[in-house]
Amino acid sequence: MQELFTKLGIDWKLLIAQIVNFLVLLFVLYKFAYGPIVAMLEKRQKKIEQGLKDAESARKNLEKSEEKQKEILKKARADFKVIVEKAHTQAEKSKLEIAAEAKTQAKKILADAKAEIGREKKKTIGEIKSEIGGLVAMAAEKVIEEKVDSKKDREIIEKSIS
Amino acid sequence: MNISLAAEPLFHIGSFPVTNTIVVTLLVSLLIIAASAILKSRVHLIPRGFQNMVESVLEALLNLVDSVTQDRRQSKKFFPLVATIFIFVILSNWVEVVPGMGTIGLRETHEGKEILVPLFRSGSADLNMTLALAIISVMSAQILGIAAIGIGKYAGKFFVSPFAKPYFVGTFVGVLELVSEVAKLISFSFRLFGNIFAGEVLLMVMLFLVPYFAPLPFLFLELFVGFMQALVFSMLTLVFLKMAATEAAH
Repeated sequence: MQELFTKLGIDWKLLIAQIVNFLVLLFVLYKFAYGPIVAMLEKRQKKIEQGLKDAESARKNLEKSEEKQKEILKKARADFKVIVEKAHTQAEKSKLEIAAEAKTQAKKILADAKAEIGREKKKTIGEIKSEIGGLVAMAAEKVIEEKVDSKKDREIIEKSIS
Repeated sequence: MNISLAAEPLFHIGSFPVTNTIVVTLLVSLLIIAASAILKSRVHLIPRGFQNMVESVLEALLNLVDSVTQDRRQSKKFFPLVATIFIFVILSNWVEVVPGMGTIGLRETHEGKEILVPLFRSGSADLNMTLALAIISVMSAQILGIAAIGIGKYAGKFFVSPFAKPYFVGTFVGVLELVSEVAKLISFSFRLFGNIFAGEVLLMVMLFLVPYFAPLPFLFLELFVGFMQALVFSMLTLVFLKMAATEAAH
Protein backbone atom coordinates (compact mmCIF):
# COMPACT_ATOMS: atom_id res chain seq x y z
CA MET A 1 0.00 0.00 0.00
CA GLN A 2 2.75 2.36 1.04
CA GLU A 3 4.70 1.49 -2.08
CA LEU A 4 1.64 2.07 -4.28
CA PHE A 5 1.18 5.52 -2.79
CA THR A 6 4.85 6.35 -3.30
CA LYS A 7 4.72 5.14 -6.90
CA LEU A 8 1.66 7.28 -7.57
CA GLY A 9 3.32 10.22 -5.88
CA ILE A 10 0.76 10.51 -3.11
CA ASP A 11 2.34 12.19 -0.12
CA TRP A 12 0.12 13.07 2.84
CA LYS A 13 2.04 16.31 3.38
CA LEU A 14 1.32 17.44 -0.16
CA LEU A 15 -2.23 16.16 0.10
CA ILE A 16 -2.90 18.24 3.19
CA ALA A 17 -1.19 21.23 1.59
CA GLN A 18 -3.46 20.91 -1.45
CA ILE A 19 -6.57 20.56 0.71
CA VAL A 20 -5.64 23.63 2.75
CA ASN A 21 -4.85 25.54 -0.41
CA PHE A 22 -8.21 24.75 -1.92
CA LEU A 23 -10.10 25.55 1.28
CA VAL A 24 -8.34 28.92 1.51
CA LEU A 25 -9.23 29.60 -2.10
CA LEU A 26 -12.83 28.58 -1.47
CA PHE A 27 -13.02 30.80 1.59
CA VAL A 28 -11.55 33.82 -0.15
CA LEU A 29 -13.80 33.47 -3.18
CA TYR A 30 -16.84 32.83 -0.98
CA LYS A 31 -16.08 35.90 1.06
CA PHE A 32 -15.08 38.33 -1.66
CA ALA A 33 -16.28 37.18 -5.05
CA TYR A 34 -19.48 35.13 -4.99
CA GLY A 35 -21.43 37.23 -2.54
CA PRO A 36 -21.13 40.55 -4.37
CA ILE A 37 -21.32 39.04 -7.83
CA VAL A 38 -24.34 36.85 -7.20
CA ALA A 39 -26.05 39.73 -5.40
CA MET A 40 -25.23 41.93 -8.38
CA LEU A 41 -26.59 39.35 -10.81
CA GLU A 42 -29.81 39.07 -8.87
CA LYS A 43 -30.13 42.82 -8.54
CA ARG A 44 -29.65 43.26 -12.25
CA GLN A 45 -32.12 40.49 -13.01
CA LYS A 46 -34.70 42.12 -10.77
CA LYS A 47 -34.04 45.48 -12.36
CA ILE A 48 -34.46 44.08 -15.86
CA GLU A 49 -37.62 42.26 -14.87
CA GLN A 50 -38.96 45.45 -13.31
CA GLY A 51 -38.05 47.39 -16.45
CA LEU A 52 -39.82 44.89 -18.69
CA LYS A 53 -42.86 44.93 -16.45
CA ASP A 54 -42.91 48.71 -16.46
CA ALA A 55 -42.63 48.81 -20.23
CA GLU A 56 -45.47 46.32 -20.52
CA SER A 57 -47.72 48.29 -18.20
CA ALA A 58 -46.85 51.52 -20.00
CA ARG A 59 -47.76 49.92 -23.31
CA LYS A 60 -51.06 48.72 -21.86
CA ASN A 61 -51.79 52.14 -20.47
CA LEU A 62 -51.08 53.73 -23.80
CA GLU A 63 -53.37 51.26 -25.55
CA LYS A 64 -56.09 51.91 -23.03
CA SER A 65 -55.84 55.65 -23.33
CA GLU A 66 -55.84 55.40 -27.11
CA GLU A 67 -58.99 53.35 -26.98
CA LYS A 68 -60.55 55.82 -24.61
CA GLN A 69 -59.62 58.65 -26.89
CA LYS A 70 -61.22 56.88 -29.83
CA GLU A 71 -64.36 56.28 -27.85
CA ILE A 72 -64.54 59.89 -26.78
CA LEU A 73 -64.10 61.02 -30.35
CA LYS A 74 -66.82 58.64 -31.51
CA LYS A 75 -69.18 59.87 -28.84
CA ALA A 76 -68.41 63.47 -29.63
CA ARG A 77 -69.14 62.86 -33.28
CA ALA A 78 -72.49 61.28 -32.47
CA ASP A 79 -73.34 64.10 -30.10
CA PHE A 80 -72.43 66.63 -32.72
CA LYS A 81 -74.75 64.98 -35.22
CA VAL A 82 -77.66 65.03 -32.78
CA ILE A 83 -77.05 68.64 -31.86
CA VAL A 84 -76.92 69.77 -35.46
CA GLU A 85 -80.11 67.91 -36.25
CA LYS A 86 -81.85 69.42 -33.27
CA ALA A 87 -80.71 72.87 -34.28
CA HIS A 88 -82.01 72.23 -37.76
CA THR A 89 -85.46 71.24 -36.59
CA GLN A 90 -85.46 74.06 -34.08
CA ALA A 91 -84.63 76.53 -36.81
CA GLU A 92 -87.32 75.11 -39.09
CA LYS A 93 -89.83 75.31 -36.31
CA SER A 94 -88.98 78.83 -35.31
CA LYS A 95 -89.14 79.94 -38.94
CA LEU A 96 -92.73 78.71 -39.24
CA GLU A 97 -93.65 80.21 -35.91
CA ILE A 98 -92.28 83.59 -36.81
CA ALA A 99 -94.14 83.56 -40.08
CA ALA A 100 -97.38 82.63 -38.38
CA GLU A 101 -96.94 85.29 -35.77
CA ALA A 102 -96.21 87.89 -38.41
CA LYS A 103 -99.36 86.88 -40.21
CA THR A 104 -101.54 87.22 -37.15
CA GLN A 105 -99.83 90.47 -36.27
CA ALA A 106 -100.56 91.79 -39.72
CA LYS A 107 -104.17 90.67 -39.52
CA LYS A 108 -104.57 92.37 -36.19
CA ILE A 109 -103.07 95.59 -37.44
CA LEU A 110 -105.30 95.47 -40.45
CA ALA A 111 -108.41 94.93 -38.30
CA ASP A 112 -107.40 97.74 -35.97
CA ALA A 113 -106.94 100.07 -38.86
CA LYS A 114 -110.33 99.13 -40.30
CA ALA A 115 -112.03 99.71 -36.97
CA GLU A 116 -110.29 103.08 -36.62
CA ILE A 117 -111.42 104.07 -40.07
CA GLY A 118 -115.00 103.05 -39.24
CA ARG A 119 -114.98 105.05 -36.04
CA GLU A 120 -113.53 108.09 -37.76
CA LYS A 121 -116.11 107.83 -40.48
CA LYS A 122 -118.96 107.69 -38.00
CA LYS A 123 -117.58 110.64 -36.08
CA THR A 124 -117.15 112.66 -39.24
CA ILE A 125 -120.62 111.80 -40.40
CA GLY A 126 -121.99 112.84 -36.99
CA GLU A 127 -120.11 116.08 -37.16
CA ILE A 128 -121.28 116.72 -40.68
CA LYS A 129 -124.86 115.95 -39.65
CA SER A 130 -124.83 118.46 -36.80
CA GLU A 131 -123.15 121.01 -39.04
CA ILE A 132 -125.74 120.46 -41.75
CA GLY A 133 -128.51 120.65 -39.11
CA GLY A 134 -127.29 124.08 -38.07
CA LEU A 135 -127.09 125.24 -41.63
CA VAL A 136 -130.59 123.93 -42.43
CA ALA A 137 -132.01 125.65 -39.36
CA MET A 138 -130.39 128.89 -40.37
CA ALA A 139 -131.67 128.49 -43.89
CA ALA A 140 -135.16 127.65 -42.68
CA GLU A 141 -135.15 130.62 -40.37
CA LYS A 142 -134.20 132.77 -43.15
CA VAL A 143 -136.90 131.26 -45.30
CA ILE A 144 -139.61 131.40 -42.73
CA GLU A 145 -138.33 134.53 -41.13
CA GLU A 146 -139.55 133.50 -37.93
CA LYS A 147 -138.52 131.14 -35.45
CA VAL A 148 -140.78 128.45 -34.41
CA ASP A 149 -139.87 127.49 -30.99
CA SER A 150 -136.65 125.73 -30.78
CA LYS A 151 -138.22 122.46 -29.89
CA LYS A 152 -140.35 122.41 -33.00
CA ASP A 153 -137.41 123.58 -34.93
CA ARG A 154 -135.33 120.68 -33.87
CA GLU A 155 -138.03 118.26 -34.77
CA ILE A 156 -138.40 119.67 -38.23
CA ILE A 157 -134.67 119.56 -38.79
CA GLU A 158 -134.44 116.05 -37.70
CA LYS A 159 -137.26 115.04 -39.95
CA SER A 160 -135.77 116.76 -42.93
CA ILE A 161 -132.34 115.26 -42.58
CA SER A 162 -133.27 111.71 -41.99
CA MET B 1 12.65 12.87 -21.99
CA ASN B 2 11.58 11.79 -18.57
CA ILE B 3 8.01 10.95 -17.68
CA SER B 4 7.25 10.62 -14.04
CA LEU B 5 3.88 9.62 -12.64
CA ALA B 6 4.59 11.50 -9.46
CA ALA B 7 5.18 15.22 -9.29
CA GLU B 8 8.88 16.02 -9.01
CA PRO B 9 10.11 17.87 -5.92
CA LEU B 10 12.08 20.99 -6.78
CA PHE B 11 13.45 21.53 -3.30
CA HIS B 12 12.59 20.78 0.30
CA ILE B 13 11.54 23.08 3.11
CA GLY B 14 12.39 21.03 6.16
CA SER B 15 10.84 17.70 5.32
CA PHE B 16 8.18 19.24 3.14
CA PRO B 17 8.83 18.56 -0.54
CA VAL B 18 7.99 21.59 -2.67
CA THR B 19 6.93 19.97 -5.94
CA ASN B 20 6.44 21.65 -9.28
CA THR B 21 2.69 21.02 -9.05
CA ILE B 22 2.35 22.77 -5.73
CA VAL B 23 4.14 25.79 -7.16
CA VAL B 24 1.69 25.88 -10.07
CA THR B 25 -1.28 25.31 -7.78
CA LEU B 26 -0.23 28.21 -5.60
CA LEU B 27 0.29 30.42 -8.64
CA VAL B 28 -3.17 29.53 -9.98
CA SER B 29 -4.71 30.21 -6.57
CA LEU B 30 -2.98 33.55 -6.33
CA LEU B 31 -4.12 34.42 -9.83
CA ILE B 32 -7.73 33.63 -8.97
CA ILE B 33 -7.55 35.56 -5.70
CA ALA B 34 -5.95 38.56 -7.42
CA ALA B 35 -8.62 38.50 -10.13
CA SER B 36 -11.41 38.37 -7.56
CA ALA B 37 -9.81 41.21 -5.59
CA ILE B 38 -9.62 43.34 -8.73
CA LEU B 39 -13.17 42.44 -9.60
CA LYS B 40 -14.47 43.20 -6.13
CA SER B 41 -12.97 46.68 -6.15
CA ARG B 42 -15.04 47.60 -9.19
CA VAL B 43 -18.32 45.79 -9.44
CA HIS B 44 -20.81 47.83 -11.43
CA LEU B 45 -24.47 47.31 -12.12
CA ILE B 46 -23.72 47.85 -15.77
CA PRO B 47 -20.89 45.39 -16.47
CA ARG B 48 -18.00 45.96 -18.82
CA GLY B 49 -14.84 44.19 -19.85
CA PHE B 50 -13.48 41.75 -17.34
CA GLN B 51 -16.55 41.85 -15.12
CA ASN B 52 -18.68 40.94 -18.10
CA MET B 53 -16.61 37.84 -18.81
CA VAL B 54 -16.53 36.65 -15.20
CA GLU B 55 -20.21 37.31 -14.80
CA SER B 56 -21.19 35.40 -17.89
CA VAL B 57 -19.18 32.40 -16.69
CA LEU B 58 -20.63 32.59 -13.18
CA GLU B 59 -24.15 33.12 -14.46
CA ALA B 60 -23.88 30.12 -16.76
CA LEU B 61 -22.65 28.07 -13.81
CA LEU B 62 -25.42 29.37 -11.58
CA ASN B 63 -28.02 28.46 -14.18
CA LEU B 64 -26.47 25.01 -14.49
CA VAL B 65 -26.62 24.58 -10.71
CA ASP B 66 -30.20 25.82 -10.79
CA SER B 67 -31.14 23.28 -13.42
CA VAL B 68 -29.85 20.49 -11.18
CA THR B 69 -31.21 21.69 -7.84
CA GLN B 70 -34.44 23.29 -9.10
CA ASP B 71 -34.24 25.56 -6.09
CA ARG B 72 -32.54 28.96 -5.96
CA ARG B 73 -31.84 28.84 -2.23
CA GLN B 74 -30.16 25.47 -2.47
CA SER B 75 -28.27 26.61 -5.56
CA LYS B 76 -26.83 29.51 -3.65
CA LYS B 77 -25.70 27.10 -0.94
CA PHE B 78 -23.95 24.75 -3.38
CA PHE B 79 -22.75 27.37 -5.82
CA PRO B 80 -19.54 28.53 -4.07
CA LEU B 81 -18.09 25.03 -3.84
CA VAL B 82 -19.11 23.99 -7.34
CA ALA B 83 -17.94 27.23 -8.94
CA THR B 84 -14.62 27.20 -7.09
CA ILE B 85 -13.96 23.62 -8.15
CA PHE B 86 -14.81 24.48 -11.74
CA ILE B 87 -12.63 27.59 -11.90
CA PHE B 88 -9.73 26.04 -10.03
CA VAL B 89 -9.77 22.80 -12.02
CA ILE B 90 -10.17 24.43 -15.42
CA LEU B 91 -7.27 26.81 -14.78
CA SER B 92 -5.12 23.98 -13.39
CA ASN B 93 -5.94 21.93 -16.48
CA TRP B 94 -5.20 24.71 -18.91
CA VAL B 95 -1.82 25.32 -17.39
CA GLU B 96 -0.57 22.33 -19.40
CA VAL B 97 -1.01 24.10 -22.73
CA VAL B 98 1.02 27.11 -21.64
CA PRO B 99 4.35 27.05 -23.50
CA GLY B 100 7.29 26.08 -21.34
CA MET B 101 5.35 23.70 -19.13
CA GLY B 102 7.27 20.47 -18.91
CA THR B 103 10.16 21.79 -20.98
CA ILE B 104 11.69 24.46 -18.77
CA GLY B 105 13.30 22.88 -15.78
CA LEU B 106 16.29 22.04 -13.69
CA ARG B 107 18.78 19.40 -14.67
CA GLU B 108 19.26 16.98 -11.85
CA THR B 109 21.16 13.80 -11.47
CA HIS B 110 18.81 11.10 -10.40
CA GLU B 111 20.01 7.53 -9.82
CA GLY B 112 23.06 8.15 -11.89
CA LYS B 113 21.19 9.65 -14.88
CA GLU B 114 20.85 13.31 -15.67
CA ILE B 115 17.17 14.17 -16.10
CA LEU B 116 15.17 17.33 -16.63
CA VAL B 117 12.88 18.24 -13.76
CA PRO B 118 10.23 20.64 -15.12
CA LEU B 119 9.75 23.80 -13.12
CA PHE B 120 6.04 23.79 -13.76
CA ARG B 121 3.59 20.98 -14.05
CA SER B 122 -0.16 21.24 -14.39
CA GLY B 123 -1.76 20.97 -10.97
CA SER B 124 -4.22 18.36 -12.15
CA ALA B 125 -1.39 16.10 -13.28
CA ASP B 126 -0.63 15.30 -9.69
CA LEU B 127 -2.70 12.80 -7.72
CA ASN B 128 -2.23 14.83 -4.55
CA MET B 129 -4.20 17.69 -5.99
CA THR B 130 -6.97 15.61 -7.57
CA LEU B 131 -7.28 13.45 -4.48
CA ALA B 132 -7.46 16.56 -2.30
CA LEU B 133 -10.32 17.90 -4.42
CA ALA B 134 -12.04 14.51 -4.40
CA ILE B 135 -11.78 14.34 -0.61
CA ILE B 136 -13.26 17.83 -0.28
CA SER B 137 -16.03 17.05 -2.73
CA VAL B 138 -17.02 13.74 -1.12
CA MET B 139 -16.59 15.04 2.42
CA SER B 140 -18.81 18.04 1.76
CA ALA B 141 -21.56 15.71 0.53
CA GLN B 142 -21.12 13.61 3.69
CA ILE B 143 -21.19 16.68 5.92
CA LEU B 144 -24.31 17.90 4.18
CA GLY B 145 -25.98 14.54 4.80
CA ILE B 146 -24.92 14.48 8.46
CA ALA B 147 -26.02 18.07 9.01
CA ALA B 148 -29.43 17.27 7.55
CA ILE B 149 -30.33 14.08 9.50
CA GLY B 150 -27.78 13.74 12.28
CA ILE B 151 -24.74 11.54 12.55
CA GLY B 152 -26.54 8.52 14.05
CA LYS B 153 -29.11 8.22 11.30
CA TYR B 154 -26.51 8.97 8.66
CA ALA B 155 -24.20 6.25 9.94
CA GLY B 156 -27.23 3.94 9.87
CA LYS B 157 -27.06 4.12 6.09
CA PHE B 158 -23.71 2.29 6.09
CA PHE B 159 -23.82 0.11 9.16
CA VAL B 160 -26.89 -2.07 9.24
CA SER B 161 -27.29 -4.81 11.83
CA PRO B 162 -27.40 -8.25 10.18
CA PHE B 163 -30.38 -9.12 12.42
CA ALA B 164 -32.63 -6.36 11.07
CA LYS B 165 -35.52 -7.12 8.74
CA PRO B 166 -34.07 -8.06 5.35
CA TYR B 167 -31.29 -9.66 7.41
CA PHE B 168 -27.93 -9.89 5.69
CA VAL B 169 -29.14 -8.07 2.59
CA GLY B 170 -29.30 -4.78 4.50
CA THR B 171 -25.83 -5.24 5.88
CA PHE B 172 -24.48 -6.06 2.48
CA VAL B 173 -26.11 -2.95 0.96
CA GLY B 174 -24.57 -0.87 3.74
CA VAL B 175 -21.13 -2.23 2.93
CA LEU B 176 -21.73 -1.52 -0.74
CA GLU B 177 -22.65 2.07 0.12
CA LEU B 178 -19.42 2.39 2.05
CA VAL B 179 -17.42 0.97 -0.84
CA SER B 180 -19.17 3.32 -3.27
CA GLU B 181 -18.08 6.32 -1.20
CA VAL B 182 -14.46 5.16 -1.47
CA ALA B 183 -14.97 4.38 -5.14
CA LYS B 184 -16.19 7.95 -5.65
CA LEU B 185 -12.92 9.22 -4.22
CA ILE B 186 -10.89 7.02 -6.51
CA SER B 187 -12.92 7.68 -9.64
CA PHE B 188 -12.95 11.43 -9.00
CA SER B 189 -9.21 11.67 -8.50
CA PHE B 190 -8.06 9.20 -11.12
CA ARG B 191 -10.35 10.48 -13.86
CA LEU B 192 -9.01 14.01 -13.60
CA PHE B 193 -5.43 12.93 -13.01
CA GLY B 194 -5.50 10.42 -15.86
CA ASN B 195 -6.93 12.83 -18.40
CA ILE B 196 -4.63 15.68 -17.63
CA PHE B 197 -1.51 13.61 -17.08
CA ALA B 198 -2.11 11.80 -20.34
CA GLY B 199 -2.69 15.12 -22.07
CA GLU B 200 0.54 16.49 -20.70
CA VAL B 201 2.51 13.44 -21.80
CA LEU B 202 0.84 13.54 -25.20
CA LEU B 203 1.74 17.19 -25.70
CA MET B 204 5.30 16.58 -24.60
CA VAL B 205 5.70 13.60 -26.91
CA MET B 206 4.21 15.50 -29.86
CA LEU B 207 6.54 18.38 -29.15
CA PHE B 208 9.54 16.06 -29.19
CA LEU B 209 8.47 14.25 -32.34
CA VAL B 210 7.31 17.17 -34.52
CA PRO B 211 8.10 20.51 -32.93
CA TYR B 212 6.16 22.67 -35.41
CA PHE B 213 2.38 22.74 -36.10
CA ALA B 214 1.76 19.08 -35.32
CA PRO B 215 1.05 19.76 -31.61
CA LEU B 216 -1.49 22.43 -32.53
CA PRO B 217 -4.59 20.19 -32.88
CA PHE B 218 -3.58 18.50 -29.66
CA LEU B 219 -3.40 21.85 -27.92
CA PHE B 220 -7.01 22.51 -28.92
CA LEU B 221 -7.94 18.99 -27.88
CA GLU B 222 -6.32 19.55 -24.49
CA LEU B 223 -8.18 22.85 -24.06
CA PHE B 224 -11.41 20.99 -24.68
CA VAL B 225 -10.46 18.08 -22.42
CA GLY B 226 -9.50 20.52 -19.67
CA PHE B 227 -12.86 22.22 -19.91
CA MET B 228 -14.70 18.92 -20.04
CA GLN B 229 -12.93 17.50 -17.02
CA ALA B 230 -13.54 20.65 -14.98
CA LEU B 231 -17.21 20.52 -15.91
CA VAL B 232 -17.45 16.81 -15.08
CA PHE B 233 -15.74 17.26 -11.74
CA SER B 234 -17.92 20.18 -10.66
CA MET B 235 -21.12 18.64 -12.00
CA LEU B 236 -20.49 15.34 -10.22
CA THR B 237 -19.81 17.23 -7.01
CA LEU B 238 -23.08 19.10 -7.50
CA VAL B 239 -25.00 15.91 -8.18
CA PHE B 240 -23.58 14.21 -5.08
CA LEU B 241 -24.45 17.25 -2.98
CA LYS B 242 -27.96 17.29 -4.40
CA MET B 243 -28.33 13.55 -3.81
CA ALA B 244 -27.18 13.92 -0.21
CA ALA B 245 -29.68 16.75 0.30
CA THR B 246 -32.60 14.85 -1.27
CA GLU B 247 -31.80 11.60 0.51
CA ALA B 248 -31.78 13.49 3.77
CA ALA B 249 -35.17 14.99 3.01
CA HIS B 250 -36.76 11.55 2.57
